[in-house]
Amino acid sequence: MAKKLGKKARKFAKKNLPSVMKRQRKLNSMFKKKSAPRRSKVSNKVFLEESNKSKNVQQTHGDLEGMILDEAFYNNDLGDLFHQDDYDLDEDVSVSDGYISEDPECPYISEIEDEICSEEKSDDVPILLQNREIYQEIAKQKRKLDKLCVKDPQFSKFLESQRSDLHKSKSEEIYSDEEGDANSADDDGIGESETSLSGKVLTSSTLDVWCWMVMEQPNCSTLSSLLYGFRAACHFGVDSDEVSQQKIANREVFSKLLTFVLQEAHGIFSRLLGISGSMNKKNMLKTTKKSEWKSVRPLIKSYLRSSLFLLNQEMDNQILMFVISQLRLSIMFFAAFPSLAKRLIKRSIHLWATGDENLSACSFFIIRDIASKCSSDYLDICLMRTYQAFIANCKFMDSANLKHIKFLMHSIVEIYSLDIQKSSQKVLISVQQLASILRQALKTKKKEELKKIHSWQYVNCISVWVEFVSCNFKNYDLQPLLVLIIEIIRGIAHLFSGPRYLPLRFKCVKILNRLSLSSGVFIPIASLLFDCLEHRGNINADRTQRTHVDLSSLLKVPKQLLKSRDFHEESILTAIQLLSEHFSQWSYHISFPELATIPLILLKRFHENTTLESVRRTVKRLMDQAQQKSDFIQRKRDEVLFSPKDQSSVDGFLELEKDRSSPFGRFYASMRHDGLQSPRT
Amino acid sequence: MGKKNKVILPPNLPPEVADDEIEVSDEDLEFVGRNREYVGFLTKLDTKSIDRHVKRVANHEDDELEALYEKRNRKPSLLRLKEEEDKLQVDPVDALPVKTLDGKLEYRTADRSKSGDGTNENESAMGIEDDEKNAGMLKLTKPEKRLKLKKSRKEAKKLAKVEEKGDIGEEKLHSEVLAKVEEDLSAEELFRKKKIRLAEIGLQLLENPEENIKALKELLQICDDEDQNIVKLGLMSLLAVFKDIIPGYRIRLPTEKEMEMTVSKAVRQQRFYESTLLRSYKAYLMKLITLEKQPSICQVAVRCLCSLLDAVPHFNFRESILASVVKNISSSDDTIRKLCCEAIRSIFSNEGKHGGEATLEAVRLIADHVKFHDCQLHPDSIDVFLSLTFDEDIGKSDSLEEPVKPKKRGKWKSQVGSKEVQGSDRKKNKQEVMKKTREEVSADLKAVSFAPDLKDRKMMQSETLSAAFETYFRILKNSMDPSASRSKVNAVSLSCGSGSYPLLASCLNGLGKFSHLIDLDFMGDLLECLKKLAGYSDHNDGSMQNHLSVSERLQCCIVAFMVMRNNLDALNVDLQDFFVQLYNLLLEYRPDRDCGEVLAKALKTMLWEGKQHDMQRAAAFIKRLATFSLSFGSAEAMAALVTVKHLLQKNSKCRNLLENDAGGGSLAGLVAKYRPDATDPNISGALASVLWELSLLVKHYNSSVSSMAASISSMGSMNPAHTQVLFSTASPLQAFADLSIEQELFKPASKAASLSRKRTREIEKDFVVMDPDQIRKSENMIDEDILTRKFKDHFNLNKGIMENERLRRELNHTMSSISLYEDYKRQKKRKKER
Repeated sequence: MAKKLGKKARKFAKKNLPSVMKRQRKLNSMFKKKSAPRRSKVSNKVFLEESNKSKNVQQTHGDLEGMILDEAFYNNDLGDLFHQDDYDLDEDVSVSDGYISEDPECPYISEIEDEICSEEKSDDVPILLQNREIYQEIAKQKRKLDKLCVKDPQFSKFLESQRSDLHKSKSEEIYSDEEGDANSADDDGIGESETSLSGKVLTSSTLDVWCWMVMEQPNCSTLSSLLYGFRAACHFGVDSDEVSQQKIANREVFSKLLTFVLQEAHGIFSRLLGISGSMNKKNMLKTTKKSEWKSVRPLIKSYLRSSLFLLNQEMDNQILMFVISQLRLSIMFFAAFPSLAKRLIKRSIHLWATGDENLSACSFFIIRDIASKCSSDYLDICLMRTYQAFIANCKFMDSANLKHIKFLMHSIVEIYSLDIQKSSQKVLISVQQLASILRQALKTKKKEELKKIHSWQYVNCISVWVEFVSCNFKNYDLQPLLVLIIEIIRGIAHLFSGPRYLPLRFKCVKILNRLSLSSGVFIPIASLLFDCLEHRGNINADRTQRTHVDLSSLLKVPKQLLKSRDFHEESILTAIQLLSEHFSQWSYHISFPELATIPLILLKRFHENTTLESVRRTVKRLMDQAQQKSDFIQRKRDEVLFSPKDQSSVDGFLELEKDRSSPFGRFYASMRHDGLQSPRT
Repeated sequence: MGKKNKVILPPNLPPEVADDEIEVSDEDLEFVGRNREYVGFLTKLDTKSIDRHVKRVANHEDDELEALYEKRNRKPSLLRLKEEEDKLQVDPVDALPVKTLDGKLEYRTADRSKSGDGTNENESAMGIEDDEKNAGMLKLTKPEKRLKLKKSRKEAKKLAKVEEKGDIGEEKLHSEVLAKVEEDLSAEELFRKKKIRLAEIGLQLLENPEENIKALKELLQICDDEDQNIVKLGLMSLLAVFKDIIPGYRIRLPTEKEMEMTVSKAVRQQRFYESTLLRSYKAYLMKLITLEKQPSICQVAVRCLCSLLDAVPHFNFRESILASVVKNISSSDDTIRKLCCEAIRSIFSNEGKHGGEATLEAVRLIADHVKFHDCQLHPDSIDVFLSLTFDEDIGKSDSLEEPVKPKKRGKWKSQVGSKEVQGSDRKKNKQEVMKKTREEVSADLKAVSFAPDLKDRKMMQSETLSAAFETYFRILKNSMDPSASRSKVNAVSLSCGSGSYPLLASCLNGLGKFSHLIDLDFMGDLLECLKKLAGYSDHNDGSMQNHLSVSERLQCCIVAFMVMRNNLDALNVDLQDFFVQLYNLLLEYRPDRDCGEVLAKALKTMLWEGKQHDMQRAAAFIKRLATFSLSFGSAEAMAALVTVKHLLQKNSKCRNLLENDAGGGSLAGLVAKYRPDATDPNISGALASVLWELSLLVKHYNSSVSSMAASISSMGSMNPAHTQVLFSTASPLQAFADLSIEQELFKPASKAASLSRKRTREIEKDFVVMDPDQIRKSENMIDEDILTRKFKDHFNLNKGIMENERLRRELNHTMSSISLYEDYKRQKKRKKER
């Protein structure tokens, strides 16, 4: 219920809680000034709109530059990146351009009004109960008042005069309040020139007729009536004070109206414009030049605007998903209305970042569509805002949102991979920003600086770009980016040494392994893992007290676990797993024996000294396998004739063997299997 | 006041006993100072009976006594006084503490003003005798000073009466006025006043030190204040004054005989000035040294001491300053330690100021300090030795002038010196005349300048050196003894003591720096010692933590090599053991635990700079270093590769490692197969191996490493004759620094101007990471029925809310109407009244 209430409830509270109202009024006073002239003059409005538009353009440009040059880059705060353009879209909201006028001669308005249903009793919503209580209270108070009036007839006269005064001031209050709301919400053009339908109630039969007519013959006038009704439905409950609003008879009508329009609108518009099949940029450009466009444009706009409004108001996942997936069809229409498109981006990014699994996926699709199908400006916005939303939403990580964050990460990679030329610059900037944060921390070693790095936010940001690089390294030359990221990760590992930070260390190694695998460069990681072989936990700890240590959801080991046997075991097993991952990548390289030399010597020593039986077995297995592989390579390379400098021959060494399954390959596969079963790192 | 005195005194306090006659020994005073809590008995004194006694004595006569009481009481109640100063009570009769019925003491609260008052009365009563009075006041807190002050005053009065009469009168007037006003002042204003007074005196002193030298006393008195802030300010102003007025020479007080001689007025005046200065200086130092123990003021005191040591190391009482500074050199307080170390360093580096004596003293003191604490100190205390400079030219210039005494030279320079002597002897004959004139001139110069005799300087230097080395050897010895230190580590908590031997690292640094000055006699022992230390840890031994860290052991190897090299390989010591150590230590190295610079330095001193005669060993190191760079970070790898390259350049035969030659094994001699896990480089059989590592290192992510690997692997084809051609200039140390993480991150990122696209990809359709079908599935999850229901719910909810809003408005309306009734009634009443 709480969720459902959401925005409505907030608005509701605004109206009823005086303190909130006061604050609201203060805030709105700014809007009031701005909007006062707009209400009166249409020409003025156009002017304003123009100026606003140009301002937006300027702002976006400024933001980009700002991102590169100014504080966002030096400020070293992740959140600050892309920060400034927040205003951008907020202001868009108040921009209203164009409107459709309701055709007053719209026929076929059913006169049957008996359908206005009485309150459905079946729903036992708390708000209804409350309503009933209030109603009783009113009755009580009314009686009291009546008594007073009867007692003192002069009072009623006095009351009358007072009431008129009160009314005046109150209406002013409401007016100003409403105005603010209307501004920040949606100041649709439809309502203004429209009077004829006001107060009329849309009934089910009328709707049926309209729907039928629209489907049969996409007549503009019927369609506009329908869209007007759609608008009313979308705004239902929000601007209910407006007299001009069309009334909706009951919930069936409401539901049907919304479903029908959302489902069919795109098809209808396409038919009107004579578009067939899928749309793309070129298609759209052609369409806008058609003569029909002029007449259909306001309708499309009204439709998009209303659905956007619904999208902003609605809290329910199912409805949101439905609206988004339907809007996705008409994505090309959005391209014609930049301000609407921006609002769509803003809202869908919000839903993408915060929604549940399915909603998030739907939102991602629409974002990706906007980014890929519409003009490149939108791509820029999407690139910035998705990363920004990601930064804001990846501060915490636990087993619950692991999947979601992974999804967000992947979506970002998808969106950034749309246009590598464009995005690689942005990625480089973000990575450099991350690097400068690290630099600062390395220089000062202050606690708060270190904390910035030692956070999920930082780790996740790095992970996103690692993913990006490893996905695109094959196709593009991302060498500088790769090197910078590797240095950052090594820097993190260097900055946080010591057993408490082992989980972070493992994460770094894992990332390095990933980068190495995808890019084919050699990244030595063995030395990063030697530490944990020497870390000594309290071996004699009580065995009965087993706590499951999940290193993947930790960055720093809690103190009480630090000495525990489980943590010790877990960390060594993870290290073994990472090491075998490293080995398996180079297991066919001619230099594998040398690669394994030092780790094997150290593992052997560890194996001799440790008392942890379970770990011992795994270590032994790795040692045996690596030794076997090493001997195998050694035998093979004794047969070859080329020298180390002959790089092409080296690359061709054992090329044929790679595809075959080998003992070490099987060993690594089993290690990974184990690793997956008990989630490590 | 002594405890004994007090216990007996109160009941029969004889009023006629002059304060001067009360014997207060220094020990007593110290005792009271140390055992503040004992002074608590004061609070338990039967104050009533004391009161009686005092009153019987007639308190108006004996303000001295009253002052004495005040002084006593002030001590235990130092802290309380601060608060109580706010409430001022003026009545002089109430000045003594009064015991209330419940046994609490009520102190009179106008401490400061009261004493001022007392002074005042006294002054007016005794006139010129005010000096005497001051002495009385002083004596209570600093009796040992009193005698001296008195003595000086007697002379001073005779000498300075004429000049200072006006001054005294002025001062008296001043203090009278001050004292009167003070009574009404709150503590803050008092503080301000005192500050102003401090500034006034300070200015006077700076303007004309000769005439106002007596003001030092007053400054010193201010430092006895119970307000710590005032004390601090006083100390600082005294510091400024002393730094300014202390002359550039050492003051020697006249002996008894000299005193008796009649001297001119100017001389007398000068003597008075000097003696006063010296006395006050001494008093000041004593005060600093005592205050240094108080935690709240110690920083200021130490700062003053250090500044004095820095500014006037030539002046009297240097020894005591030095002693107290050295004592603080390994303080656990970072600021104090830094200050002291800085002061000592400045002593070492500005020897011109004191002619080297202070250096010797300081080094000796530090040596004693280290000895006393059994080497459990902060490493900073030894690091100061690094600032020592030993001028080797002293011996040379000396030999020109005094060719006859080469034997007195330091042992380590004797050979060099005598050689030059013979050469210079012949040249001299030719220009004897010239020489003589020059000698005369230089003799004159010597007489004029303060520079001590060269001989003395030399002596001093050798003494200094031996004291420093004594310290170093002591530390080494201490580190060799495993049982000695471990037990004490816990007792001495050091802020950054690394491991169990906090001083070892800096000791080794020092030995490395001064290795060329080490006496040949010690060298054998030293190397033996280093060898033991370097090879100390045997990892099969269970208790690893007991031993030296990898960095320390590497440092031992480095020092051994430096010692050997700087002494021209005079000693035929086999350094093989150190090579073995290094070979094995490479495996022990951990990038974040151990210091990478030390490793790079070890590579530089031991492999890069030295000559490798043993091919087997060189090959073993080449192989190990190459393997090493496969496991470690880019900086370490680069340092190792630079060394590898260098070794390959110098040892042409080792270049066989670069070729996969079937016959390579024949060179290996005894060991035909490479054994990577051998602990001795000589038997590893590395010559039989091939440097396959390079082929993997070429793929290294770091471009410098990969290009270095590529360049090494191409060396095989180099003509063996061209061995010396391609010497890379960068040392391993340099290479390490260049590629360290900090450096790498600071490198400006090259802007990828345009991305070369390697492969074309259908942008619009492809998904890079995600499985599109999986995600699309979620889109189809929308269920019509649910949707319809949700829409309906949505409608209902909104409707409900709308209804609610409407009802609430109505309710509010009704309620306001009812509340209006009150207004209405009021209005009606008013109308009626009218």
